[in-house]
Amino acid sequence: MAESELLDAEEYRRLCDYLYRRTGMAFTEARRYFVERRVEDRMIATGSSSFASYFARLRVNMEGEVEKLINAATVNETYFYREDHQFTCLTSNMLQERLRVKPPGEVLRIWSVPCSTGEEPYSIAIWLLENWPEVDAHDVEIVASDIDTNVLNAARSGIFGKRALMRLSAGLTGKYFTRAGPEHWQILDELRQSVRFTAANIVAQTETRPHGLFDVIFCRNLLIYFDDTSRRIAAENLYESLAPGGYVCLGHAESMSRISPLFEVCRFADAIVYRRPLEAKHG
Amino acid sequence: MADGKMRVLIVDDANLVRLYYRQILEEEGFEVEEALNGLEALERLLVSPADALIVDINMPQMDGITFLGALRRQALPLSAIPALVTSTESSADDVAAARAAGANFYHVKPIGREVLARYMAMFCGAPQ
Repeated sequence: MAESELLDAEEYRRLCDYLYRRTGMAFTEARRYFVERRVEDRMIATGSSSFASYFARLRVNMEGEVEKLINAATVNETYFYREDHQFTCLTSNMLQERLRVKPPGEVLRIWSVPCSTGEEPYSIAIWLLENWPEVDAHDVEIVASDIDTNVLNAARSGIFGKRALMRLSAGLTGKYFTRAGPEHWQILDELRQSVRFTAANIVAQTETRPHGLFDVIFCRNLLIYFDDTSRRIAAENLYESLAPGGYVCLGHAESMSRISPLFEVCRFADAIVYRRPLEAKHG
Repeated sequence: MADGKMRVLIVDDANLVRLYYRQILEEEGFEVEEALNGLEALERLLVSPADALIVDINMPQMDGITFLGALRRQALPLSAIPALVTSTESSADDVAAARAAGANFYHVKPIGREVLARYMAMFCGAPQ
């Protein structure tokens, strides 16, 4: 792969250091090929003749270049009803537990972060409609955030291809989507309006804190992109974003116990999730 | 109503709740309209009347009680549209206030598919 290397070792290290400081995302040597291809795309797009000139542009964030590179370098692949055992757990256990301890009438708040192009938060809304007989008896707010503003715009538009819908039955697709082209479907307006999309970087407390406290957070398959330090910061921000007794769901390959002692492990019938203790832990 | 379908107007500020009721009622063969609050509901009814109403209590701009009061002061046939109030409030005072404002029935949420469909069928004169 030597001839495809766009950057020398020192340049790659400087780029990764920079991206790490800006986003908390650790791009290792293993991801070098992938990162270089994205940098190459961005160099062509910006008319940069060398990495040095591109990097200079990046560092002064000319025309929002940092955001553009991050958007290009974050992988956004997901689909509806992904890891839906956690949604079963949401309606069978987590929401019931939250309702037990919350003052009556208070809004149930769910956060999908990162939300990518919207498959996860919309899945949550559909799941609630389909599987939670009390859905009309509670005010539910679904907030969906991502660092990538391009995916947020796509999420707001609510248009999806076949691949994103592969796990949904034809019945559900017909019920909650309208055709938007030969290969595309658009989610119903009520669903689009039931999710609030915002930009947020999970390792930046100034961006997570304004979102307030949540009852359940879905933060799946994000921490795997982080190094230990960013993971710990992200875990602390998740903790701070949870109401006492609130839950966080991670991806199946992720474990909070390895990252942070702040949370309690909860083993429900359908999923293992993590809870911010009702009483603050000390030390 | 050319196709003979009865029209139900859902008045609720929660997107998911409107969608939930709408899906049930459409599957049951009703035509469904939606309004986000009492003001919007009044406006919609003036444009095209409905055969039945499902009304939430707590809504911004104009709540369900105020809406029903205003509706019942309209001229016939608008003032006589039957209304089911659905609310999370279950106290006797809330029920009494809704009845006084003009609710025909009051159901504490959650309301299941069968119950919702039965109320609407009754309002629309379907055989029981």
